Amino acid sequence: MRSSSYSVMPLRALRAAVVLALAAGAVTVTPAAHAGTTAPALAAKPYMGWSSWSMQSSKYPGLNLDGDYSYLTEANVAKQTDALAAKLKKYGYEYVNIDAGWWMDKTWKTGYDQYGRQKADPVRFPSGMKAVADRIHSKGLKAGIYLPAGLEKGAYGDGKTPIWNADGCTTADIVYSDLRTTNGWDSAYKIDFSRPCAQKYIDSQAQLIAGWGYDFLKLDGVGPGSGKSGDQYDNVADVAAWNKAIAATGRPIHLELSWSLDIGHAADWQKYSQGWRIDTDVECYCNTLVSWENSVDDRWDDTPGWTKYAGPGGWNDLDSLDVGNGEMDGLTKAERQSYATLWAIAKSPLFTGDDLTRLDSYGLSLLTNKEVIAVDQGATPPARPITPSDPQQVWAAKNPDGSYTVALFNLADKPAAVSANWAALGFTGKAAVRDLWNHENLGSFKDKVTEALPAHGSRLFTVTPHGSALAFTGYEAESSANTLAGNASVADCSACSGGKKVGNLYLGGKLTFNDVVVPKAGTYQVKIAYVSGDARSAAVSANGGGAVSHKYPSTGDWGTVETVSVPLTLKAGSNTITFDSGNSYAPDIDRIDVPKSY
Amino acid sequence: MTTDPSPMLPRRDLLALAAMTGAALAGLPAFTASAAPQRPVDSPSTKASSPLELWWQAPADDNSMIEQGLPVGNGRLGALASNDPGHEVLLVTDATMWTGGLNDTLDSDGQFPYGRTDFGSFTLLGRLTVDIPDHDLGAVSGYRRTLDLAQGVVTTSYVRSGVTYRRKIFASRPDDVIVLHFTQSGGGRYTGTVTLEGTHGEGAGVSFGAAFPNGLKYGAAVTAYGTGGRVTVSGTRIDFSGCKDLTVVVSGGTDYAPDAAKGYRDPSLDPHGLARTKVRDAAAHSADTLLNTHVGDYREVFGAFGLSLGTSTAEQRSLDTWERIQARARDEVPDPELEAAYVQFGRYLMISGSRGSLPLGLQGLWLDGNDPDWMGDYHTDINIQMNYWMADRAGLSSCFDAFTDYCVAQVPSWTDVTRRLFNDPRNRYRNSSGKNAGWTIGISTNPYGGGGWWWHPAGNAWLCNTLWEHYEYTRSHTHLEKIYPLLKGACEFWEARLLTTTLPGTSREVLIADSDWSPEQGPLDAKGITYAQELVWALFGNYCVAAAELKKDGGYAETIAGLRKRLYLPQVSPKSGWLEEWMSPDNLGETTHRHLSPLVGLFPGDRIRPDGSTPADLVAGATALLTARGMESFGWANAWRSLCWARLKNADKAYQLIVTNLRPSTDGSNGTAPNLFDIYEVSQGRGIFQIDANFGTPAAVSEMLLYSRPGHLELLPALPDAWSAAGSLTGAPARGGFVVDLRWRDGRPTEAHIRSVGGRTTTVAYGGTSRTVTLRPGGSVTLKDLAR
Repeated sequence: MRSSSYSVMPLRALRAAVVLALAAGAVTVTPAAHAGTTAPALAAKPYMGWSSWSMQSSKYPGLNLDGDYSYLTEANVAKQTDALAAKLKKYGYEYVNIDAGWWMDKTWKTGYDQYGRQKADPVRFPSGMKAVADRIHSKGLKAGIYLPAGLEKGAYGDGKTPIWNADGCTTADIVYSDLRTTNGWDSAYKIDFSRPCAQKYIDSQAQLIAGWGYDFLKLDGVGPGSGKSGDQYDNVADVAAWNKAIAATGRPIHLELSWSLDIGHAADWQKYSQGWRIDTDVECYCNTLVSWENSVDDRWDDTPGWTKYAGPGGWNDLDSLDVGNGEMDGLTKAERQSYATLWAIAKSPLFTGDDLTRLDSYGLSLLTNKEVIAVDQGATPPARPITPSDPQQVWAAKNPDGSYTVALFNLADKPAAVSANWAALGFTGKAAVRDLWNHENLGSFKDKVTEALPAHGSRLFTVTPHGSALAFTGYEAESSANTLAGNASVADCSACSGGKKVGNLYLGGKLTFNDVVVPKAGTYQVKIAYVSGDARSAAVSANGGGAVSHKYPSTGDWGTVETVSVPLTLKAGSNTITFDSGNSYAPDIDRIDVPKSY
Repeated sequence: MTTDPSPMLPRRDLLALAAMTGAALAGLPAFTASAAPQRPVDSPSTKASSPLELWWQAPADDNSMIEQGLPVGNGRLGALASNDPGHEVLLVTDATMWTGGLNDTLDSDGQFPYGRTDFGSFTLLGRLTVDIPDHDLGAVSGYRRTLDLAQGVVTTSYVRSGVTYRRKIFASRPDDVIVLHFTQSGGGRYTGTVTLEGTHGEGAGVSFGAAFPNGLKYGAAVTAYGTGGRVTVSGTRIDFSGCKDLTVVVSGGTDYAPDAAKGYRDPSLDPHGLARTKVRDAAAHSADTLLNTHVGDYREVFGAFGLSLGTSTAEQRSLDTWERIQARARDEVPDPELEAAYVQFGRYLMISGSRGSLPLGLQGLWLDGNDPDWMGDYHTDINIQMNYWMADRAGLSSCFDAFTDYCVAQVPSWTDVTRRLFNDPRNRYRNSSGKNAGWTIGISTNPYGGGGWWWHPAGNAWLCNTLWEHYEYTRSHTHLEKIYPLLKGACEFWEARLLTTTLPGTSREVLIADSDWSPEQGPLDAKGITYAQELVWALFGNYCVAAAELKKDGGYAETIAGLRKRLYLPQVSPKSGWLEEWMSPDNLGETTHRHLSPLVGLFPGDRIRPDGSTPADLVAGATALLTARGMESFGWANAWRSLCWARLKNADKAYQLIVTNLRPSTDGSNGTAPNLFDIYEVSQGRGIFQIDANFGTPAAVSEMLLYSRPGHLELLPALPDAWSAAGSLTGAPARGGFVVDLRWRDGRPTEAHIRSVGGRTTTVAYGGTSRTVTLRPGGSVTLKDLAR
């Protein structure tokens, strides 16, 4: 959740900015977590389940009858638990996650025990939190709970509140003397982990939820992220403390971090947690659970920079998957399918925030499509864009068996045809296409597959090549044969081929490859290897023709090279290819690879 | 019509005039009982030649109909179709579906009210949906739809679970219905619903009838039939289940009548009942019979004109139409077949939207809502003229008639309103002479005799000159008889309006137009604007020829000829070197203004000719003005510029403007939408459909290949390099009464076949050479050695 812990927030004002790594400085890249090692005990696969926040945060009629966020009650959790067990458990959904508010009354007033720890609100949860977890466990499911980062202000108690199982420690002993606040809402005092009592407080919270039997903790408002930056909002030490505290309980509790975590600290999140929310809340805080524009559609731009961090033991969390009931979700069928497609190919946790007692038949089919769930849960890598992030875009991942997971997206407001070109996947000839959503083999396709997609629509395929690898001719950006204009200049880049790239492509900066030779005229899918810590656009043209501006998805930092393919019409013989920053900022270019045939 | 410039003619005389004019109409532009259709004995060829087949790989949806919906129409009854497999939507229109009325109460400034209730607006007739839930777009593959320009048929095909489904949509003129025919191969079945709804609160129903507050009655009806399953009426909709094939037939119309004397209504007409009769009669035939009847009728009109601009590459041919539009802009490589197809698409729109009913307005016959910009009306200061420049130039002379019939039916009301209201003291454009005669119009006109927005004194002349040009192309005596009263009435108006002035620094007395506005820019009260002087000069000339050819009104023609001699003719500004737009050496408006009003003498007029027959300084001044107007505008403004550059034989510029109009429109930007409709960006991110460029651009293509004025033809006056390798133009009418077939290679004509449709003598020029051809009507000659 991203709401103020204490008051109903102005929704728009609190919309968190997407955290972007703007600086072009060097960032240490951690290889994909845990890849190739033995499966971790937790989050070997993206977790699946249900979360309470989407319904709590919605103004959909009938949900929050006792005021904002009032949906969260013992009875409602029980109802959703039963529905999850009955309808979705057999497909792999197992977590029932209680979100914010379990220690707050219907006016959002908090309650704590004598040790400054969050205490179940007796009206919402009359049987207490342990009983809720027990009931969830009795259905063969796992229980999740929620806490904000830091020492909540209400728990401070003039600093005299004792810390559980920590002789002599009180709340005054765990915070900074200036009572600086922290977390995404400034609802807590920042904990000073240089003080010996601080870890004890986290231990006490961990022991409490472990004692109740929880299997999952969402730690929210974590910075850098949650709309905050700077030392005051740096909660890496909190997260580390939680990691340590959980280990000390001996109970395997999945630690999930929220929200809009700073990608610059991805290595920290990987080290200490099992998942991290990469973006702001998916909920719209409106009359439905979500809406396309606010902010389901943000994920297509915000996910690619994170892709490399996902893997067994830690996953990119795209937030709730609210596709189960079109009317409540506030989405078209096409939008719901696209939503589920992106979550599956990005290998996001699949937890729905829908009312599981009211899934419509289409929603149930989306949530229970075994082929799509297998994309999310299988031993395959997450997909990332293989085309620029234009309104029509294609994402793909190469699977260990040689096939490709390929998703077509049309993010435009009107229908469009979208093609996946085999050349952009690196092979040529024919390939078999299986439609995962429709459980149908579509047949064999030469060179590409094209489908008509509705507005905000998608298709999800497994593509099995039967052709041969495509040969490419590479051209380095830093080659002296190229022409640089404006501020464009060659720069070192350890991740780049040849150790160099062309950067400073901004405000008129231009890079022209002068002698790109192809055997015959035609449209080639030219691979662009580039570095861009944020999504940037560049206009590309061949032979001085009409330039087409494309948006290059973020590579996550300024030390990582990614590639996308762009169609360029070339003539037989020598061609020029130009990247023009125009009146904006373009990505750095490492090299281009031009297919030897098309 | 009286020549007496008395301020007021008794109203009953006007009504008598109206009745007389109405009786002279050749056709009945209304929703009426159809004659028994001519059914072809043999199936017309169903094999499409690929350059005339546009295709797409995505449908439209409810929110994108104006950019992606495919238009169909039978000249009166039209629709935009979404072609979505699971949710076919047709936004159905009838050309006469107009709110508003005579609008004869002026605003306080003496100008016309311009609202949707007083002036009125073109609106939708209804909305037809065919829902097939199992064929959701997300569940089908291999989607493709085509518009076969050679046959006038939209086809959609896709695969669902191994079955290929196909549907054809067409609007038949002989059967006066729109037909949707759903078929499949592979053992598939259709299950779903058909819903017809009004868009003005009528609700849904298999038929409906209602009336607007202006009294216009309208109605629509649908029926469906299939094989192998059940088709049943279920409440307000039609359910079908398990059908191997399905045919849906829809029709509708209004009780509009092109008759001022009857208030533009036919009280004997019951549109609701007639719509039901039409769909029932059509449903007595198989879909194939209806299709063959339609294709036979359509091809007869479409096939009269051919155009080849060269050969496209295999790569270009492999792209769908929208990809091709994008590639044309991206690669900056000519795509001659696409460019020719754009011309043929314009012809398709005209055949579909201008036969037997009202003419094409700002959006033609196609709407995506009930509140089109500028009411979807008839704008008389360029737009309706541009719509019809293409008709003769692209071999669609018969489609011009809707425009003629409209003017003829409106002129009694235009006359009445002019006599009663033009000299209103609040009207800044009133005749300062105090005299009032003849007729004129507003900048906008509706189908009820009403004007909208501001008075447009010279609009009468431009309408008449456009009508006259059609006579020059066709030499149709019937047409001349029809339009003669309009020309005469317009002359009477100007006879009463022209002012005498002495040119400064001389003793020369000239006639100039009273206070006016050069269309849409500059001072509001300028006397002697170039626009009016040029149009009236041409009008007077045309009238004198008309009177002579009809052997009528010899004395009056002499009077008009005398006035013409005294007309001030616009000059080149000594300051700017441009042809003056106002009677002033100064530029009083926007340099790059969209309108080319002061250049009406270059195009469509003939006063300024770059062939040595007009003073060189005048041609230079027109060229300088056109250059200053720039090359970057939008749809119709680019098309007009292209036509002017074609007249100046500047092939590169004429072509560049065509290419500019072919740019893909994205997010509402100026250019061509996926469905090839021309989009005009009225504000950032908001593009609207305006059909004039869809006609003006093809007219420019034609004008680049063949220039004509009576007695003179010029071949390939502005042939761009992009089309020069080889090409042909066949069935192209030429002014003076000829039809030309022309072939070229390597930039030079190889063969020209000239057939007379009434013309007798003309010079035929190419480059520096010229020869004279004399023919009898019906005779023809083939010229082969023109390039020497």
